Parts: sequence; C-alpha cells; structure tokens
Amino acid sequence: MLQLTDISKKYPARGVVLDRLSFSAQKGDTIAITGPSGSGKTTLMNIIGTLDRPDSGDVEFDGRKLTDLMPDELSDYRNRNIGFVFQDHLLFKHLTILDNIMLPLFSSAISDSELAEKKTFCSELMERIGIKELENKYPFQVSGGEAQRATLVRALIRKPSVLLADEPTGSLDAKNADILGNLLLQINRDLGITLIVATHSLDLSAKMTRHLKLESGKLTD
Amino acid sequence: MISMSNHHFRLTVKSFLFSKREYLNNILIIALLAAIITGSLMTGDSVRESLKRNSEEKLGNTYLVAGTGLRFFDPALAGRLNQNHNLITVPVFETRGYCQNFSNGATALNVSIYGVDSAFFDFHGLNCLKISDGGVLLNGNLAGYLGIKEGDEIIIRFREADPIPENAPFSPGKNGTSSKVFLVSGIIEAEMAGNFSLGISQIPPMNIFMNLEDTGLSEGNSGRCNRLLAAYSTGLSDSLLYKLLKTELTLTDIGFKIRKSDATKETEIISDRIFIDSSLVFSILSYVKGYPVLTYLANSITGKSAETPYSFICSSDKVFSSSGGNSILINKWLAADINAEAGDTLTLSWFFPEGSRLETRSEKFYVEGITGSEPGFNDPFLMPEFPGISGSTSCSSWDAGIPVLIDKIRDKDEEYWNLYKGTPKAFISYETGKKLWGNNFGIATALRFPETTGTETILDALRGKIDPADAGFTISDVRESGIEAAVSGVDFGTLFMSLGFFILLSCVILLTITISIYFDSKKDQIRTFHALGFRNKLIGKITIYETLLIAVTGALAGVILGIAVNFLLVTALNSVWKGAVQTDAITPAMKPLTFLYGFISTVFVSQLIVVLKLRRYLKLLSGNGEKSYSVRFQGYNSILLMLTGFATVIFILLTILNHNASLTISFSAGILLFVSFVLVLRHYYLNLSEKRARSIFTLSAGFYRFNSSQVLAPMIFIASGIFAIIITGSNRQTITPEMLENSGGTGGYLLYAESALPVNHNLASEEGKREFGLNELQFRNTEIVQMPLLKGDDASCLNLNKVKAPPLLGIDPAHFVNRGSFSFASVLKAYNKNPWLLLNERYDGNIIYGIADQTVLQWGLMIKTGDTLIYRTEKGQPLRIVICGGLKSSVFQGHLIIGEENLREYFPSVSGSSVFLVDTDSEAADDLKDLLSDRFSDYGLSVEKASDKLASFFIVTNTYLNVFTILGIFGLILGVLGLGFILTRNFELRKNEFSLLYAIGYNSGMIRKYLVTDQIIILIWGVITGTTSAIIATLPSLRNSNGISLTLLLLMISAVTVVGLAVLYRSVNKIKSGNLVLNLRKD
Repeated sequence: MLQLTDISKKYPARGVVLDRLSFSAQKGDTIAITGPSGSGKTTLMNIIGTLDRPDSGDVEFDGRKLTDLMPDELSDYRNRNIGFVFQDHLLFKHLTILDNIMLPLFSSAISDSELAEKKTFCSELMERIGIKELENKYPFQVSGGEAQRATLVRALIRKPSVLLADEPTGSLDAKNADILGNLLLQINRDLGITLIVATHSLDLSAKMTRHLKLESGKLTD
Repeated sequence: MISMSNHHFRLTVKSFLFSKREYLNNILIIALLAAIITGSLMTGDSVRESLKRNSEEKLGNTYLVAGTGLRFFDPALAGRLNQNHNLITVPVFETRGYCQNFSNGATALNVSIYGVDSAFFDFHGLNCLKISDGGVLLNGNLAGYLGIKEGDEIIIRFREADPIPENAPFSPGKNGTSSKVFLVSGIIEAEMAGNFSLGISQIPPMNIFMNLEDTGLSEGNSGRCNRLLAAYSTGLSDSLLYKLLKTELTLTDIGFKIRKSDATKETEIISDRIFIDSSLVFSILSYVKGYPVLTYLANSITGKSAETPYSFICSSDKVFSSSGGNSILINKWLAADINAEAGDTLTLSWFFPEGSRLETRSEKFYVEGITGSEPGFNDPFLMPEFPGISGSTSCSSWDAGIPVLIDKIRDKDEEYWNLYKGTPKAFISYETGKKLWGNNFGIATALRFPETTGTETILDALRGKIDPADAGFTISDVRESGIEAAVSGVDFGTLFMSLGFFILLSCVILLTITISIYFDSKKDQIRTFHALGFRNKLIGKITIYETLLIAVTGALAGVILGIAVNFLLVTALNSVWKGAVQTDAITPAMKPLTFLYGFISTVFVSQLIVVLKLRRYLKLLSGNGEKSYSVRFQGYNSILLMLTGFATVIFILLTILNHNASLTISFSAGILLFVSFVLVLRHYYLNLSEKRARSIFTLSAGFYRFNSSQVLAPMIFIASGIFAIIITGSNRQTITPEMLENSGGTGGYLLYAESALPVNHNLASEEGKREFGLNELQFRNTEIVQMPLLKGDDASCLNLNKVKAPPLLGIDPAHFVNRGSFSFASVLKAYNKNPWLLLNERYDGNIIYGIADQTVLQWGLMIKTGDTLIYRTEKGQPLRIVICGGLKSSVFQGHLIIGEENLREYFPSVSGSSVFLVDTDSEAADDLKDLLSDRFSDYGLSVEKASDKLASFFIVTNTYLNVFTILGIFGLILGVLGLGFILTRNFELRKNEFSLLYAIGYNSGMIRKYLVTDQIIILIWGVITGTTSAIIATLPSLRNSNGISLTLLLLMISAVTVVGLAVLYRSVNKIKSGNLVLNLRKD
C-alpha cells in the first residue's frame, strides 16, 4: 500500500538525515519508528505525510507516485488519506473542540448529507474516545490528554488510510499516554487504518506489531 | 449543500474575534493610514470645491462673456440682444486703475474698476442695489484694505473708455487717464457680487463699481463697454451667442460713423479708433462697393529749396488714379510754398510708432502734377478726426500725440489751417500709402462710397454681415473655464499625500512589522491547515479573509478620522500655511467618492502587504521550512568600510576646507558618510560575534550576525528619515548672490516695478526723461527696461487654478541679450539659438515664440518647451505661441514673454508699458525706489527690489517645505514607534534564547536590558548617522543660512530620541518572566 524507495534527505545545517532509505507498509499494519533525537524520525514522518519532499527517491501510495504530484494534489491526497497526530496538539484556540475536529472537512466542498454523516461519525468517535462531553469546550478549557485525544479524532474524521503519530504521547503523563496508545490500537483494529508511530516511548512502541529503528539515515528492523 | 464560504467566514470571524485585542495595533495603524490618505484626498476636494465656489461666487449669474479686450462697443447692443433674442445680457466696462482713501491717503494699486448700469445688479439678482450719482460701490476687500467706509471720499485714477488706442499714431496726449473723486455710496460683500471678477484666481479681488456714464473720457465717449455678460438661458452656447451677436452687430455699435463729404458728396465710414482694421476694410468693401482712404500727417514736405511743416497727405486710388509707386500730386498751395513743379522730387518725412518709440521715416516722391480745384482734391473731410487736431483753432494748439515743433509753424501754415483745416496738400496712391502708413491699428482712415450709396444702403448691406471677431469680440464660457481651472489646478490631495510621505511610509513599515507579527502568531494555525490538507489557495483565502476584516475595521475607522485630518489641514492652510494658498477661504469639503477611494486604497495597500507576506510564508511552508543561514565574512565588510571611510574623509575635507564647494561634492560627502556609518554598525556586530562573549550584551551579536537586516533596516529608516528631512529643509529658497547677477533670476536688475496704468512715454528718450525728471543727476547711471503688458490670469505658483492664458509681456530681447540677463532651464533644441533672439521672429503667419519660467510651464500651464499656447489676437484670430525657452526661477514668474514687436502687432490696443526693470548703482537702489514711486505716482507705480519680487514667489515652495518638514518629523516619530514592535517581535523570535538565559540564572531585568540595548544602539546610531551626514551634505546651504533651522533640527532629534526611548522602555517592560517560564515548560 505504502512504498518508500531510496529516500534521501539532506539539510544544509544538519547534513544527511535520510540516506537511500526504503520502507513499505500494508493496510492495517502498526509500525513503531524509534531512534535517537535528531535521527530524522520527524523528517521521515513528514515525507510519508507529504509535508516534506525527499531530495531523491520515490514515495508511492497504492501504486501512485506521490513525488510527482503537484502541491494542490498533494494537499488533497493528505486530506483524504493521511491523519496526523503531533506532539503539540495544534488545536485552534478560538474554535471549540468540535469545530477543531470538523476542520479537515472544510478543505473542500461538502454536501449536507456527507456533513451529517461525518457529524454522526464524529459523535461516535468522540464517544468512543471519551471526549463527547468536550465538544463545546475550547482547547484552553481542556487538559493536555483531552486535547491530544481531540487531535486524534480530528485525524480520523476523514477515515484516512494511514495515521501518522509523531511523538503523540510526548507531552502526556504516563496514564494519559497509556490511554492514548490503547486508543490508537483500538482505532487501528476497528477501522483497519495503517498506524505509523514515531516515538521515544518504549511502552508505546511495544504496543505495535512492527518495530523499525532509524539510525544513520537508514531503517533497520 | 453547505456553502464553503459560510464555513470559512465562520472560521474567519471566530479567529478575528478571538484575537481582536492582538489586532488592535494593526487596526490602529491601518486607521492612521486611511486617515492620512482620506484626509489628504479630502483636502484636495476642499481646495477644489473652494476654488469652484470661489469661481462661481465671482461670476455670479455670468455664464458667457463676449469681450472686446481693449476695444469698446455700444451698451445698446445688450438691450437689442435681450429684446430680440430673449437673452439676459448686461454690458460692463472693465478697466484697471488705482485709488486712494481721500482722508487717510491709503492707496490700493491694481484695482479692478467696473463701469456698470443698474442692470448689472439686476442681472445678479440684486434688484435693490444701485449706485448713486457721483458715487461708487467698493467691495469689502478693498474697503478693508483702504480703511474706508460708506460716505467717505475716494480718489480713483483709471484709463477711461477712450476708443483711440494710446499707442495709435496721433493719439492725443500720452496719458489718457484721469483722476476723479467719488463718494463711497456703499460697501458690498461677496454675496452681493462684490467680488465679481472674470479672471481666474483664488485671491479675492479689489473692486470698484461705478456708473457707466462716469467711465467715459468725454460726453461723446461715455457709456462705452468692453464686456457683455450673458446669463444662462436654455440652449445658449458660445456659438449661439456669437451667431446672435453677428445678427445684431452694427457699425454704430463698434464706433463707426457714416457721414457725407461736403465737397464730394460721397458717403464715408469713419471709425472712432481713427484707423480701420484691415479685416473690417476687406469685409465692408466686400459687401458695399467703395474704396479705402488713408490720410497721414507728414512732419515735413521738402522740395528743392523749401520745406512745409505738418501737412496731411492723402492716399487714395480715387484721387490718384495712376498705378502708384512713388508718384505724388501736390496742391497749388504746396507747390507755391516749396516752389515745386511736375517732375520735381520731394521728400516726405513722418513719425511712425515703433513700440513705445516714434521713429522718423522719410521717402522721396516724384511730382506727377499739380492738382486743380476738383472737389476730390479740396476735401477737408479727408483728414481723419484726430481728437487733438481736428477741433483745434490753430496748428500751434495741436495735441497730436507727437512732438510738434511750434517754431516751425509759420503764419501761412496757420492761415491754411484757418481756411482749409486739414485738407490734404498732397496725394499718393493708396497702395503706397498703405505700405508707408498702414500700421497695427489699421490700413485706412475712411472708407468712401459713391454719392448714390446712401447711409441706409450701407447699413442694409452690412446688417448681419459684420463678423464679431473682426470687431475684436471673443466669446468665453467663463463658468466652464473657471470650473475647469479649479478642477485642473494644483491637486492638493496628491500634494498632501506627497508631503505626508513619511507618515505614509511609516504606516506601511509599521503595518509590515505588525503583519509579520500577525504571521508569527498564526504560524501554528497555518501549519495545521497545511497538515490537514488545506490547499495553499484555501489557506491564503482564509488568511486574507481574516486580515481583510482587520483592514476593513481599520480603514472604516480611518476614513472617519480622515474628516478630522482634513479639518486640521484646511485650518492650517487658512492660517499658518496660508503662504501655499494665498487665501483664507478654504472650507472643508467631503465627497462620498473620496471616502471610498481612501477606504479602498487603504484596504488595498494593507492586503497587498498581507499577500506578499503570505506568498513568502506559504512558499517557505512548501519547502523545507528552514531559514538558510550562511556565514557573513567580516573581512569583506572591513575592506568596504576602509574604502568608503577613505573616500568620505576626502570628500568631507573638500567640503569643509573649500568654502565654495559645490552641492554635488557636499552631497557626495554626506552620502559617503551615511554609508560609512551603516558599515561601522555592521562591523560592530560582526566584530563582536567574532570575539568570545565577554558579557551578556555581546551575545546579541550572534543573533544579529545572521539577522543583520533586523539591526540595519530600522537604523537606516531612522537615519534616512532624518537625512531626507534635513536635505529637504535645506532646499528652502532664499535669495543668493548668484540670483542678483545678470544670469540670475533678477537679470542683474535692482528694481522691479509695475504700474496700474500704462506709461506711454519712452523713458529712454530725452522727452520721456524730461517728463519724469529722469535726466536729473540721481538717475545718471540708471537704465530702465520698459515692457507692455496684456493682462491675463496670473500663472505663477501663487495661483492655485490651472491657467490657460497668462499675462503677455512684450520684451525687446536686445536688452537681455546684451547684458546676458537671466538663464534658461530648458530651450528649444531644434534651434541652436539664444531663445531671446527668437522672440521677435515668427514661424509663419500667426505663429510666434514665447518664453516663460520653467516653474510656470511645468506646474502652472502644464506644458513644456516646444509646446504651443493658443491666444486670440485683438482681431479675434488665433495666435499660436511656441514655447522656445523655460527660464530658471525669475521675476517674470506668472507671465508669458513674447517679443514687444509681436505684442504690439497682435494686440495694438495694449498701450505703453506696465512692467519695468531698473538697474542703477546698488547703493542708490533704495533712494531710487522712493523716487520712482513718487515720479510715477500718477500711474500707480509700485516699485520693489527685484530680489524681493523674486523672493515673493519662494513663499509657496517654502511653505510646502515647512509642511513637508513638519509632517516628515511626525512621520519619523511614528516610524520610531515601530522600534517597540520590532523589540516585541525580536523577543518572540528569540524566546528560546531568552528562556535558556532565564533557565541558567539570568533574571528578567537582565534579559530586558539585553534585549533593549541593541534597540537603543539602533536608535542612537540612526539619529547620529542621519544628522551628521545630512549636515555635511547641506553644508553649503547652511553656510548661506538657508538650511533647516537649528531649532527645528534640535526639536526633531530630541523628539525622535525621546519618543524612541519611551517606546522601547514601554515595550521592554511589557515582557514578563512568566512568558519565559511558559516557554521553558513547553520546551
């Protein structure tokens, strides 16, 4: 489903970060990517999520070459197929939790029926993830764990094929980190979404079925 | 289907409302920008509307004007037009003069005098207003100037409605003016037509209204007019008025008389102007069969051994039927007097007017025969009705307008006069007479018709046939012209936006900074949109919607604030900046469209900045998102600094040591010093970063080494602002020694004079000198250049309206060529010739050359060298004046200069001279000024130093410069407020750096000090750079004391420094340690 071939990336200040790296993932996989700080985990996640482009190499999704797409096509691809969960929750302070979750739907035209369907789906997800009662609250009125769960719902609202979580538990305490980790797995099971997590957390990593280590620009099992 | 825009709008509004306090700075800056733009545009409207209102107020109900310049017509013409064509017209006699308050001696020169009848005030809807017999009405402006009130007496001197042009040959006397004492029967203000004027100027006129019958030279001439005012009536246009005039115009209207010759019984037409214009001669003779006669006065007729003085010679094909040439028939009396017979040669000599001079000309004639007693040779009617001659009882009492040598007149000459009056003694062919005596005023003294052609026949034949243009009529749509002049005049909207350049620039800079801060605060939001798959276009759209809300809020507040700005500017223009408008009658005006322009332009500018910033940001987001850092080489900066420093020292030494250093050298020195200061600051930061950090303050160099624009840009803004203000201030125009030289704006003349009434004497001639006592000792080294003037609308910078026909000044170019007077800013390149020499030349037909001040060309007339201005000659023909040179700032500003010969030819009724340039020993100038004023007091001569005249034009420029300086300082202070924003943004950008410092033990006070130190360096260094480099750049101006005033300089430096420090202090104190703790936790 997802295929990265000979990906290289270099920054002027940091030198080579990814060096002819190859990687593939299938539908429903749960993958943990670990590695020391500065090893390039976020860069790799950004390239998978099309937020960044590799200097060389190809990224393919369902046989479609993403590196050839135009910026607008990439935006559409990202919107439909990728869900992001960042270390910082990146919720808009001026929008309610519900508005924040619904945000990805507004990147293009949406019909009334589709919106109603998404609202039902959103309610279910919020219910399932335990933040139903927060929908009319603002981000500054909820805890860090709750905010991070809200970003998870936002990442899932489009029913993406791939969920990318970059240090999702980085800013959470142990209890909340455990809850979020379980939620991610539950989502993976229930919705069949491919889950790729970049993390330092051994506990979270242990929950995944496949473990990859990023070192010297290459991924090893 | 839920519309996308609803979602976006909701997102946008929520974001805007959430962050409204953060956007307050943006809103305030945008409001200020809108206020300045709208206020400036509204000031433009205010000036334009005031000028339009002023123009309409001056014209009253006048819609069209049929004017005859310096010619006259019968006021009865207006009555016939009204009666036969349902028009509303009124006749007016307009002239210039001067007056004096009888009781206190206060004198007003160049006063407009209107001879009107009661219909004039009816015409303006003021039925109750009348001028009492022997009384005059004054307008409030003149009454205030003279300190005169109703019931007081006033002496008025003016040129009366004399149909004979003063320059015409044999015009009696040389001063057709008289002084009359009138009772001030009332004072009328603007709303009672008191400021009536047909001229285009915003300056309130000084007006006198007198009864039409009081304007004539004698009873016979009373009640003649030179303007016909027409009120609006349906369908009336200038072409229709012209057509109706042609229908109604009769010979009598334009001063013609039809009479019968007693001797020949022929019918003849004669003119009260004596000479009949060529166009009228051809026109009349084309409708009625007849022939022209031209009779002239010869000073002498000299034969073999004797001479006859002062004899009339008639040229006519009727009495001399041969083919012409230099053949002459003489009467028996003359033949006997000079002992001449057929076959002899005679010499005729006569005076011919050449400008203000009389030239003696002579010609030899072959005596073809002696005339007999035929009536055609013995007709006293052949002598024109010269006013000073025809009624005289003796030759010796002639007032012929020429020097008559009484000693030459013999008893037999008196006897001839008593017996035959002016019966010509000799006859030549008309063609020869026309060649010798035809002049600018006409080519005939009478038109004769056969006995069978009676008066009625002539009148019938000419009814509706006289072209008004041939009689000197020109029709003007004065209302349209006045409005057009007001609308196309000086655009104060653009002017104030230019003068407020620094404020606008500061607003744009502040807006750029605050929008950068806005983007900093929105980075996370935009990144999230990006990560969520929002297309760049949509992200841009959402951002633009939100910033549009900010811009709209600010612009709405700003346009309302613009009303206050307009009010302030108008108040200043009417008071402290009056020099720029020369009136205090500007009133604030508001136009909905101006609000819209101000609103739209502000929103456009602010959104343009947003779009540029957004594009850059989105581009960065699509890339790797990292700012590229590269190492700056200090060595390169050091080499550049050394080279610039060396050049700076050389140029500064050249400027300081050489007291005659040119502005180019000093300006180069100033610029080099400026660059050196910038490089020194750059070197300071580069050098500090190279060294090991010795204190917290040297740490900042690390940041600025890679972000040098953050230290150099604000410093350069402050420095260049101060530099520009001082440099602009040094452009204040003052009289310099160069301007007093021959090549300068005074032409090397010491005095400039203008007379209210033209002086008809040639002041270079002995007679002229004698007349005014200029042959006395104190005038021995005095040279006077006299120039005729055709009045027009002042085109100098003192008139805010756009003028199309400035006053024409006739100049004999030889004066200026010989002295090398004045200099040109632009010349017609097609001719490699001194433009002065072109003045008396002509292209072809009615195309001549003209010269004007470059300022007048550029700003007043909005034309350039090589362009053509079209005037109407006195005979109504188009006269094209090709501009062959633009003078550097001179005493002639406001005038268009043409050759005197051309002026006399095309405008023969312009009499004498009204403008004078006087040169004398410099130490005698003051005494001479008073002496000339005294000697020419009958002419209302106003004498001033040429340098003062020149300086009077500087007031407008200098006022503009004052406005620029004051608004510039205000703008600079506004720009300095930006330092506060820069500091805040600097803190936000470097929060991690400061958090770290906080973490390792620096307290917030130290961090604040660390942060503010660089900003203080920027501020102080900017002030030092701008001030010192501008002082060096303007050193020559400062030496001439025409630089910016020291008080203003100190005020500016203090204001910028104090405001800068206060802003920095306030901004740095807003930084709380709590912010750093939060940042630490987050990291």
